[in-house]
Amino acid sequence: MIKKRKMKDRLKDFVNENREDFDVFEPRPELWQEICSELKVQKAQQEKPRKEAKVISINFGERLNFTADFMFMRVAATIVLLLACGITLWTVKQNNPAATNTLAATTEMGEPATVYQVAPELAEVEVYYTSQINSKREELSEYDLKVLGLDETREIDSELARLDSSYTRLKNQLQTTPNTDQVMAAMIRNLQIRIDVLNRQLEVLKKIEAIKEQDTTEPQNNETTTI
Amino acid sequence: MEKSTFQDVNAQVVQRCREGDNRAQYELYKLYSKAMFNVSMRITNDYAESEDVLQEAFISAFKNLHSYKAEASFGSWLKRIVINASVNAVRKRRSELVPLEDRIAGDIADEDYDDDTEWQVEQVRRAIQRLPDGYRVVLSLYLLEGLDHAEIGEVLGISESTSKSQYSRARKKLLEIMKDTHSMA
Repeated sequence: MIKKRKMKDRLKDFVNENREDFDVFEPRPELWQEICSELKVQKAQQEKPRKEAKVISINFGERLNFTADFMFMRVAATIVLLLACGITLWTVKQNNPAATNTLAATTEMGEPATVYQVAPELAEVEVYYTSQINSKREELSEYDLKVLGLDETREIDSELARLDSSYTRLKNQLQTTPNTDQVMAAMIRNLQIRIDVLNRQLEVLKKIEAIKEQDTTEPQNNETTTI
Repeated sequence: MEKSTFQDVNAQVVQRCREGDNRAQYELYKLYSKAMFNVSMRITNDYAESEDVLQEAFISAFKNLHSYKAEASFGSWLKRIVINASVNAVRKRRSELVPLEDRIAGDIADEDYDDDTEWQVEQVRRAIQRLPDGYRVVLSLYLLEGLDHAEIGEVLGISESTSKSQYSRARKKLLEIMKDTHSMA
């Protein structure tokens, strides 16, 4: 009984003493923007009913002319809006082919340019590694993980998330530290580790696939080898 | 005395949030997002899910600020929202967090582990991540979020004694995992 108490306290004490160090993850910096826009949407929804009432009153205007004009204007406005959206999306895609990934390493629009002023080579490095990481990820996504009986992807995802969190932290440090080279080296190592992690996973998957293929081509052999 | 001064620090910002001040909202977000994100990570063990939880929790907190009475600190009020949202997220993918066979409260015999092994934070953290959902949630709530067993029971809808026995099972499993990884390395 004494032993039990002692051990219980020891684990709890250890955690309490190092409480801060257990917080290793960080959300993507963009998340605040997402929360903001969601808050705005909710605010707008609260004000919406009043606006709708207004539109209806115009629609019931007596002059046919006016309603027709109004309809025409609405259609025209919609077309202009759609066109604008289309063009913006198209140009963004053209300029920034990696815009769809969620890595903190991705160069983002609207991000303070100061990081890249401190370390101009960073932009180049990020483009190089993110394209590698993305192609590895694409390669990985071609495997049907469930079929191959692998459930460890969650662990890999969380490992990559952890790396991404520390990358964000390093990137913030870059703006304040005089030791640019050291931080840069750590950032590059961070990116390389991700590629290693993905490569290792790819290797494992390739091996499993090879084994599965053997199994299907030699079904009789399989029966004797299964335990 | 100390408590009331601490509340006052946040009280001003909270009041500005009530009035819909976006900068005040950002101040609170900056102050709490990382800690809250890690709370959720420990419960859900999933990065994308934790981001969803964080987003949902902050939005609902800003929306329901009127129901926050300054009895507790803003941080612990927010943490409750995050914990509940995270537990719900895990429930969505698994019907029962604490399996029925584990609900029988009973003393778990502790085996001897050599008491002088040195622990590393990273080693303990990773071992917690490897625990099955039910164990991980109870253990994290108790060890890291500082809830007592009565509070854990309330959050998870189990009895206090179930929470206790579930915790000692989880702790036993955790020490086993750490022992395994230690001998492997």
